[in-house]
Amino acid sequence: MNFDASLWLIFILIGLATTLPRASFIVLGSRVALPLVLQRALRYAPAAALAAIVAPDVLVAGGQVEILNPKLAAAGVAVATASLWRNPWLPFIAGMGALHAVRYLSGS
Amino acid sequence: MPSSGQIFPSSFRGGAREGFITFLPLSVGLVPWALVMGMAMASTGFTPLQAMGMNIIVFAGTAQLGTLPLIAAEAPLWLIVVTALALNLRFVIFSAALAPGFRGVGTAKRWLAGHLLTDGVFATCLDKMLHTDDPHWRLGYYLAPAVWSWLLWQVFALIGIYAAGFIPKQWSLEFMATIALIVLLVPMARVRPMLIAALVGGASATLLRNMPLRLGVVVAICAGIAAGFAAEHREHKARQS
Repeated sequence: MNFDASLWLIFILIGLATTLPRASFIVLGSRVALPLVLQRALRYAPAAALAAIVAPDVLVAGGQVEILNPKLAAAGVAVATASLWRNPWLPFIAGMGALHAVRYLSGS
Repeated sequence: MPSSGQIFPSSFRGGAREGFITFLPLSVGLVPWALVMGMAMASTGFTPLQAMGMNIIVFAGTAQLGTLPLIAAEAPLWLIVVTALALNLRFVIFSAALAPGFRGVGTAKRWLAGHLLTDGVFATCLDKMLHTDDPHWRLGYYLAPAVWSWLLWQVFALIGIYAAGFIPKQWSLEFMATIALIVLLVPMARVRPMLIAALVGGASATLLRNMPLRLGVVVAICAGIAAGFAAEHREHKARQS
């Protein structure tokens, strides 16, 4: 796929969306405080957002929710290796291995 | 050199040395991340210049990996930005926690420090930042790991970008980005309310995937936050009674 110049606008806006939260209180100092309720609720944003991106990617194949698909099997293997071992490379090796093994075995 | 001594007083250098030594073993964990990041950007179809541009402008692994599929699917701009924001909102909390450690530090350096904030740097620096008096020492202790992370991130992403070119398309390298997001998610989901937030977020996004403008992702994130918060509340009440 080819991307045009608008890609740079996307980068700058994503950059703002990531730098402003990081810089927020470091720059403002202790003049402002975040309400405690909001602090507690915000803790759940990354987990919810990660799952909202990953789940449709591995559950949906060809527009339908498909429980038996190579991506979901690979995701399962990645979850298992990431929970059991701390080696940072292992989930990638095992997950990619599972993806190709299941694809090969199912003949697709 | 006396002039460099004024920009970086000896206590800054002392702090930098100690911060760097503390952080060095942890920083090895950044290498696979940066490699995967580079490969994922290249297999999305970015040119090396575009990929390095994103890596330098955004400098946030989760938000980069999370927005790649949306950029590839030509999702609307606002959705991409909202997703990046949701993925990095945790830093508002980290930033608030670190803020007292930057008393006595100028505004420009605070912006730099903010831009360079990562999970690893936060975890490494929080304690010393809050319990050291000398502002130069604190700044050194923070900036050395932060700048080192930045360097590792750029260098290994660049290696990843070029490595991706040698790997055949049918290897589906872009799936490594999905695995990377899973690896980030797994340790978070060890706490029950967090697991519930993830399950509700994931299930909602799957069910709502056909909503116009990919609005389902935003609705799912909000539903996940609400579910996690509710679960935390319930656990809290159960413990009190």
